[in-house]
This record gives sequence, C-alpha cells and structure tokens, in this order.
Amino acid sequence: MKQTLISSDHALYLKRLKRQTIFINVVRVSLLVLLLGIWELAAALEWVNPFITSSPSRIAKTIADLYRSGDLFYHVGTTLWETLAGFAIAVVVGYSVALLLWWSEVFRKIAEPYIVVLNALPKIALGPLIIIWCGTGSKAIVFMTVLIGLIVAILNMLNGFMATDENKILLLRSMGANKLQILTKLVIPSSLPSFISMLKINVGMAWIGSIMGEYIVSKAGIGYLIVYGGQVFKLDLVMSAVVILCVLAAIMYALVALLERLVIKNR
Amino acid sequence: MNEVLRFENVCKHYHSRQGETVAVENISFSVREGEFVAIIGPSGCGKTTLLSLAAGLIKPTRGAVKNDGVSFGYMLQKDELFPWRTIEKNIFLPLEIKRTLSEETKRRALALAEKYGLGQFLKNYPNSLSGGMRQRAALIRTLAVDPDVLLLDEPFSALDYQTRLSVCDDVYKIIRGEKKTALLITHDISEAISVADKIVVLSARPARVLATHEISFPENEPLKRRENKEFSGWFERLWGELNG
Repeated sequence: MKQTLISSDHALYLKRLKRQTIFINVVRVSLLVLLLGIWELAAALEWVNPFITSSPSRIAKTIADLYRSGDLFYHVGTTLWETLAGFAIAVVVGYSVALLLWWSEVFRKIAEPYIVVLNALPKIALGPLIIIWCGTGSKAIVFMTVLIGLIVAILNMLNGFMATDENKILLLRSMGANKLQILTKLVIPSSLPSFISMLKINVGMAWIGSIMGEYIVSKAGIGYLIVYGGQVFKLDLVMSAVVILCVLAAIMYALVALLERLVIKNR
Repeated sequence: MNEVLRFENVCKHYHSRQGETVAVENISFSVREGEFVAIIGPSGCGKTTLLSLAAGLIKPTRGAVKNDGVSFGYMLQKDELFPWRTIEKNIFLPLEIKRTLSEETKRRALALAEKYGLGQFLKNYPNSLSGGMRQRAALIRTLAVDPDVLLLDEPFSALDYQTRLSVCDDVYKIIRGEKKTALLITHDISEAISVADKIVVLSARPARVLATHEISFPENEPLKRRENKEFSGWFERLWGELNG
C-alpha cells in the first residue's frame, strides 16, 4: 500500500515536471512568433519605416534571392571556412602552449606578463598590420580569428591543467610516476571539462574573429555582406546576414554541446 | 623479524619566502616485517611529512631513512579513485605506471578484487560506489603491485563514524590476510589502539617522538579490541601523553 502511494506521488511529480517542460517550450516558440508578428505588422502598417527596420518577410525574400543567385552558399561557405580554420588553429595551438606552460614553472613565470598584456590588448588594433602582413584574402581573416581565440584558449586550458588535484598527483608520484605519466594519466583526462568549456568559449571567439576580420578586409563572407549592406543602405541584406549568422553560431554551439554529452558521462 | 624501515634522527625543514619551518625533528623509530605500526600526534604536526619521507618522495634535511630495498604502497585520506576510469581500470593504474601490466599481473589484481568483494563492481565507475566500497577499491589498487609496506595516511578520516569502524576492521583484515607490513598515520587515538602492534606518539610541530609503545591484546581484530577492558586504559595513557 505504502509502495503504491510513493509511486503515485512520484508519477505526479514526473507529470508536473513534464508539464513544465512543455510550458517552457511553448512559451519560447510563441515569444519568437509574437515578436516576428509584431515586427512584420509594424513594418506592413508603416508604424516604422521598413526601409530602415526591414521585416521578417523582406529578410526571407532577401535570403531566397541570395539562394537563387547562388551567392548564399558562397558567402556562408567563405565565412564558415574562415571561422572553422581559425577555431581549429586557435584550439590546437592554444592547447599545446598551455601544455608547455604547465610543464615548466619557469617558462610559465617568464611568459605570464606577455600573456596578460596580449589578453588585454584589443586585437582589432592590429587590423592594419594584419592587412599588410597577410594581404586582403582569407588568410588575413583566419589570422585575426586565431589572434582573438588563441590567448583565451591558452588561459582557459592552463587553468584547467593547474586545477589538477594535488592529492592525485601525490598518489601517482607514490606509484613512481614520471611527469609525462602524470600528464597523460591524470592531467589531460581530468581537464577534459575545461577543454569542453574552452571549446564553447572559442566557438563564440571564432565568430567574433571572422566577422571582425571581414569588416576590416574582405571580398566575400557574411561580415562582408553586413558591411556592404550598410554602405549601400540595403538594411534587408544586413538583417538577413545577421539571421544567417545566428543560425550558424547556434548550430556550431549545439555540436560542441553534443560532444560534451558524449564525452563527459561519468562525472 | 627483520627491520624493513628505519628512521634515524630524521629532521625535515621546509623552505619558503616567509622563512624556514621545522616539520619534524630528530625522529627515530623502526618498523619490522609484518608489523602494524601507528603514528599518532596532534593534527598539523608533520605526520604526512613522515610518510613522504618513508616513501622516498622527499629527502630528509638531516638523518637517514633506511629501507631494506622494500617497495611501498600509499593510501590517502580520500580514495582518489579516478572518476573517468572503471574500478577495474583504477586498480590497474599502478601496474600501468610501473609498466608491469600483463595478463598475469592483471589476473593477480583481479583475483584480489574478487577475494575482497569487489568482483561485481569491476565495470562500474567510482561514483556509483559507497564511501566504504570506494576505500576498499583504493586499498586493492594499492595492493595490486604487491608492495612490501603499506603507508596509510589517515585512510578512514573522510568516512562517517559507522562506516569508519567497519572499513577499518575490513582494511585491517585484508592487510593481515595479505601479510603486509603497515605504517598508519592518524590523529585518532582509539583507531591506533584498535589496529597497531606498536604506537609512536608524536608532539606538536616540530614533531618529536614522545613515546613508543608495544601493544598486544588477546584478540586482534579492531572491533574485538575496542571491547577489551584494557582498551580504555591505553586510551587514557596515550591521551595523557599527547596532552601532557
């Protein structure tokens, strides 16, 4: 009797939980529909000037036009390639540098002021230099993306490595482990959550880098569309590019979140 | 019986920018083969330093730590099982570190785990085990490389009182069953009396040896010892020495 009482209580709890989840999802979607509706209506009835604010239907039309002319995937592809290349380089190089810094305390102390200053420096200030060094192609934009992500990657990973439990290091040393074994058996696996959170942060950084790079110097890409659209006062184009950017960034973040779910199961 | 470990007038100083700390001063004692030695002292008196010295992880500033070429196994306050490894993989860890992982050493380690009731948990991750079971897994991990001397650094103090008594009993029986020598460090007087053949009493920092006692009871299991009439006599005596 008592058993069924508990389980019916529990069923009620689960039901309430499920109902709440449904409620949150419904409100989320309705909010989006509502905002888009108000925006469309305000533009259609000319409460605001649609030339300046654009509208959902004009954005949809602009994206459809881009698709039909074949420009959509050209621009998306350009930016996506630059972003992913910059992201990958920043992550790999950042991870390696962090490993070196973890390995040698002296090296860490020597490098510290440089890293602090580079972290504080607004990387966009290097814009003119990047153009002169790397030209006006994709190379310059990838370089900018790497610059923006690299220091963040190093600092995040180094924090993760340094947070390794001292007692676990002591335990391994008592087993006779050398530094390389401590690194591979303990430091790298235990810093996996830091690695994932570094990836998440760097997804955002990579988009900032590639779009900012395209603002400074570009012939194609989503950032180029935004700058171009602003210059010729085609605000539909600017809005469309921002919407595309939102979707791409969300997809990339979701992929990292999926990776997190797959990798971190037992902690 | 042979002496397997001997401290001779050992001093250890630590250096930092703020100055020099004397952790232990003029410590002498010895551990014979098969003996269970407990070291008690007020917390923060440098007991852990002694274990690190015994294991050879740090060198004494003066004096000598002599061991007869024996191997050591370390067991810490918390189990320190790696959460991303299964119990089985955790138990294999010291074999991997010593590069002696083979079918034979694996079989030996698994047989130990089986013998002491971890068989059903081998494929589980540590977070699904109780505190007592985890500490038992930590002990089997320590025993996997067949060390001659076990160094136990307050291995029960992170457990609640009930678990602590039973895990202590458990660990004691396993260590006796495997005929190991053990050096236990604790601040718990009754724990020391319940397991040790010999108790070394240390002073507050810098640690010095205040007294050394050979202890024997008619029955040797920790829980049986706790019931013995002599137990409280020993307790009062050691308490007096520590606080005198």
